[in-house]
Amino acid sequence: MTQQDSEENHGFFRHGDNAFVVEFSESEREVLINLVEQIIELLSERSDNHVDDPLAAMVGITTHDSPPEDEVLLRLLPNAYADQVDAAEFRRYTESTLRAKKYAHSLSMRITLKSAIDGIIEVDHDGANDWLGAMNDIRLALGVRLKVEQTSHEELELLAPDDPMRGVYAVYSWLGWLQESLIVALMDDAI
Amino acid sequence: MVKLDEKIEEAIKEIFNGDKPWITIVWDDPVNLMTYVTYVLMELFGYSREKAHELMMKVHTEGKAIVSTGSREEMEHDVARLHEYGLWATLQRGDQGL
Repeated sequence: MTQQDSEENHGFFRHGDNAFVVEFSESEREVLINLVEQIIELLSERSDNHVDDPLAAMVGITTHDSPPEDEVLLRLLPNAYADQVDAAEFRRYTESTLRAKKYAHSLSMRITLKSAIDGIIEVDHDGANDWLGAMNDIRLALGVRLKVEQTSHEELELLAPDDPMRGVYAVYSWLGWLQESLIVALMDDAI
Repeated sequence: MVKLDEKIEEAIKEIFNGDKPWITIVWDDPVNLMTYVTYVLMELFGYSREKAHELMMKVHTEGKAIVSTGSREEMEHDVARLHEYGLWATLQRGDQGL
């Protein structure tokens, strides 16, 4: 899965006590910016089922309590209870906070990508956690579209060369590898 | 002055929680990396690598694992933090069937 990539890119590695470094090619950086910007857009205010109530919004209460209709958004903002009534109540009071936190992870990832010099990214422990959360959200989103729930690894590996999902799967796999490299670097001292 | 040792604190906690505390469950999903689940459990709950790994393996092999127990408020907090990092988590009363 990582043979090709590892020749040109080694993923994240630890640099000193609290720095994690990775070097991206221009095309890799562009792909990541593109993906993270899509997540940022997706996490912006929900358009479905929404009634404006500025006062409620101010204290973090959303007026919608139904789960998102979009499959991807539902995976990013899942129900906290199996019981629908409890799930709706919890969502009403917490969804906007959850969305804001995920938004912040993605924004942090986008800023480091945008400000990279010569494709080199350096993040500290907190920045690394932002990256992990954001990369994971991208993988969750791609995973829904790739239907990884219902499709085996082998089937995805065997997609036809002209199937656009083949490219999506390649990006998904690469992101998994990149995420793994950052976790390994972080866990180096986490015993 | 009355002093609370750990045992008394525990007993008082039980009185308020009842004997049926709430639980946070993490469910298996095909996207999250095994190392990522372990790392998130270590970061959020301060679990040792061994404990986090054990819980992750339980999620992986049995489809789910209880990762924390406590009051309803505490479990809502835990679920919200797990959702922030993309783990698939729910909470429920401990006496309900999984």
